[in-house]
Amino acid sequence: MCGITALQLRDPGLRPRLGALMAAMMAQVAERGPDSAGITIYPEIAVLKGVGHPAVLATEWRLHEISGTQAVAHTRMATESAITAAHCHPFVVGDGLSLVHNGSFANHATIRRELLARGVAFDSDNDSEVAARFLAYRLDSGDDLEKALRLLCERFDGFYTLAVQTPDAFAVVRDVIACKPAIIAETPGWVAMASEYRALAVLPGIEAARVYEPEPEEVYLWTST
Amino acid sequence: MDIDLSTTTVRTANATLRALPPGATARLTNPAGRHNLAVGLTEEITVEIDGTAGYYVGGLSKNATVLVHGTTGWGAGENLMSGLIRVDGDASQSLAASAHGGTIVVRGDASLRAGISLKGATVLVAGNVGDHCGFMAQAGTILVGGDAGRGLGDSLYEAVIYVAGRIKDLGADARVEELAESDVELVARLAKQHGFDHIDPENVTRVASARQLYHWGTP
Amino acid sequence: MSFDEIRERARLGRYPIRGGGARRAVPTFDDLTFLTASASRYPLEGYREHCATRTVLGAANARDPVVLEIPITIAGMSFGALSAPAKEALGRAASEVGTATTTGDGGMTPEERMSSKTLVYQCLPSRYGFNPDDLRAADAIEVVLGQGAKPGGGGMLMGQKLGPRVAAMRTLPEGIDQRSACRHPDWTGPDDLRIKIEELREATDWRVPVFVKIGATRVYHDVRLAATAGADVVVVDGMQGGTGATQDVFIEHTGIPTLAAVRLAADALADFPDVALIVSGGIRSGADVAKALALGADAVSIGMAALVALGCNDTVHDFGPASYADLGTTAGNCVACHTGGCPVGIATQSPGLQARLDPVRGAERVANYLRAITMETTMLARACGKADVHHLEPEDLVALTVEAAAMARVPLAGTEWIPGR
Repeated sequence: MCGITALQLRDPGLRPRLGALMAAMMAQVAERGPDSAGITIYPEIAVLKGVGHPAVLATEWRLHEISGTQAVAHTRMATESAITAAHCHPFVVGDGLSLVHNGSFANHATIRRELLARGVAFDSDNDSEVAARFLAYRLDSGDDLEKALRLLCERFDGFYTLAVQTPDAFAVVRDVIACKPAIIAETPGWVAMASEYRALAVLPGIEAARVYEPEPEEVYLWTST
Repeated sequence: MDIDLSTTTVRTANATLRALPPGATARLTNPAGRHNLAVGLTEEITVEIDGTAGYYVGGLSKNATVLVHGTTGWGAGENLMSGLIRVDGDASQSLAASAHGGTIVVRGDASLRAGISLKGATVLVAGNVGDHCGFMAQAGTILVGGDAGRGLGDSLYEAVIYVAGRIKDLGADARVEELAESDVELVARLAKQHGFDHIDPENVTRVASARQLYHWGTP
Repeated sequence: MSFDEIRERARLGRYPIRGGGARRAVPTFDDLTFLTASASRYPLEGYREHCATRTVLGAANARDPVVLEIPITIAGMSFGALSAPAKEALGRAASEVGTATTTGDGGMTPEERMSSKTLVYQCLPSRYGFNPDDLRAADAIEVVLGQGAKPGGGGMLMGQKLGPRVAAMRTLPEGIDQRSACRHPDWTGPDDLRIKIEELREATDWRVPVFVKIGATRVYHDVRLAATAGADVVVVDGMQGGTGATQDVFIEHTGIPTLAAVRLAADALADFPDVALIVSGGIRSGADVAKALALGADAVSIGMAALVALGCNDTVHDFGPASYADLGTTAGNCVACHTGGCPVGIATQSPGLQARLDPVRGAERVANYLRAITMETTMLARACGKADVHHLEPEDLVALTVEAAAMARVPLAGTEWIPGR
């Protein structure tokens, strides 16, 4: 269970502020995930993870000084696996695919076994890592991100709001019942997704943004410019 | 009275609202999506919220009027007993969940499960509603000015849903029924009362329970 | 499954529904025994020296914490599942001995509010009868995620019991078979529960404690998440917990025994010193209470046992000999709770049948029972040398079976062996 924040910048002028904006967003969903936090920042695919309060971690990481094109972050309230940095989202796999998840999968153990049988290796016993490995496996098999996410919806049971970034894309998808929150905002300068509106409220130009909720089992995909 | 939420905690703001005498008006500024605003109100006061509210705005309240000049998070008007909640923008999921009475009006769209478990309130959405609108709704009225998503009225009890636009599909045990004159009158009155001029009361679809799930003898 | 059970399904074309709790044999508190004092430890005088039983719940967040004179509360059982006189009797009994009783799926009746000094108000997925006026009239709020008899399932009330008053309170048509929701309508998961708990605190001006009740399945994680979400008290209901009506398959095939759940729940709360633990499901005797406290509970809840004290399955009752046969059931083996044909007026909405229960005399029996098992609890605590029942600890217990030793994580009697350690 957790808070998700993700941001893709369209306005190059905002790039020096990426880390600062992400830190501000994460602080707003810290209560959803007070145990630990993590972030991937593109284009370098810098991955920062740690145990503790997200706001403290953001300061430790000097997140406000980091620039970039897009980022996806997670504040974690651990459900069934341990509270360690290794269990933190984002799960970064394959060719720089980062996944964060809010919810819990109901059949991840079986899918993990299937992937293990196909030679996929895992770093943790976290259910969300299974989703990340599944997507990377599908991308390796030649599917594009949209197709891979559709296959994920078919194969995974349970509740999920997922935010995924690759070096050239950002995607959001939710399960059919969609009982974990998700909200998207778009302006000419950026596209953002968060678990709660209050995380979007910190972004510049939010007053004029198009704000909407992703529909269940619809894949929302934005390519990097 | 103005309460600036950028400098006042939700707890203090709510305590201030609950201490207001009947007839008083208060304005909450800079809500920035904060949760649990104007919760547990009991008096006939008016609360205006300038901006976007988080979860459960106006929840567990009675008698009050809460006007949100923005959008709302999950469960706006949750368990409302009486009074009015009006949202100028869109409402997130579980709008008016289990609301017993009063009126909840959304001028934009409402997300999934609007009117879930409704227990007597009147819910009006000018725009579209997401999937499973009216899920397990027991009593009350839902009027949708736009389109409805999948599973409309799933496991409906005695609440009635009117939809002016298209319906993606009906949920288990929900069925379309013929409009009676009383339905047209009710829809016309509600539409007029809340300025839903785009609705033609003669041309709405009435959805109610098929009552096939009421007894275990039937699956 | 027996041949009879196969035939029953063949006849019905659906699953059987019944009341009560799990009938199968599972490890229980009976499989543990106390290492009372002799030479290495000294007992307290059983009848004279004081042994405290007072239990305070929710003092960290609530202005008015729940103060119990005994560590035994009465669990949530709905008006609907139970008759109005039964609810009133439980309230009277609890008040007399200084403990709390709990509403259920269907709301609060004025009778139970008036008769209960301390009343816990449940907020369930169905939200039947849930309203802010009663919320503010409550002494604590219990957000129910599940119960031991049917973790993962919703409540159920058969049409025979959905009489006019019950139906009106639940905003349902009279006489339908009620199938309650299994998830709350306006939040799912601990991150959103956190916001819900804050809403309930706001609506009650942070006056009363908030409990979160779960059915015992993935206990360690669920209890930890309930505490993280802000619960003052976590209630864990084991698989022996009873119900008024549910699918037989739920009762017998879901959840873990209360004995196993206590220890897991206590472990989960190790990092939450301000969060209290209530355990329920099959608690019958003072020995059960003392053992649950020793394994880490702050209090226990009883449901079925309180109903038996009230007269459930009893042959002699307030109105004279109870006529079980006329209602197609037998004393001692009666599980007519779900049919509404309760011969002793407890689990019924029939005006004729509920008139069989005198709430005042019923309350006396339940109060007597609560006093008796409290005495048993303090007797065991004193014999272990404790001046407070809350000073009992796991080290005061050993197990009589390997299974119980493994679940309770206490040594097998006569050994230092804890299976798995």
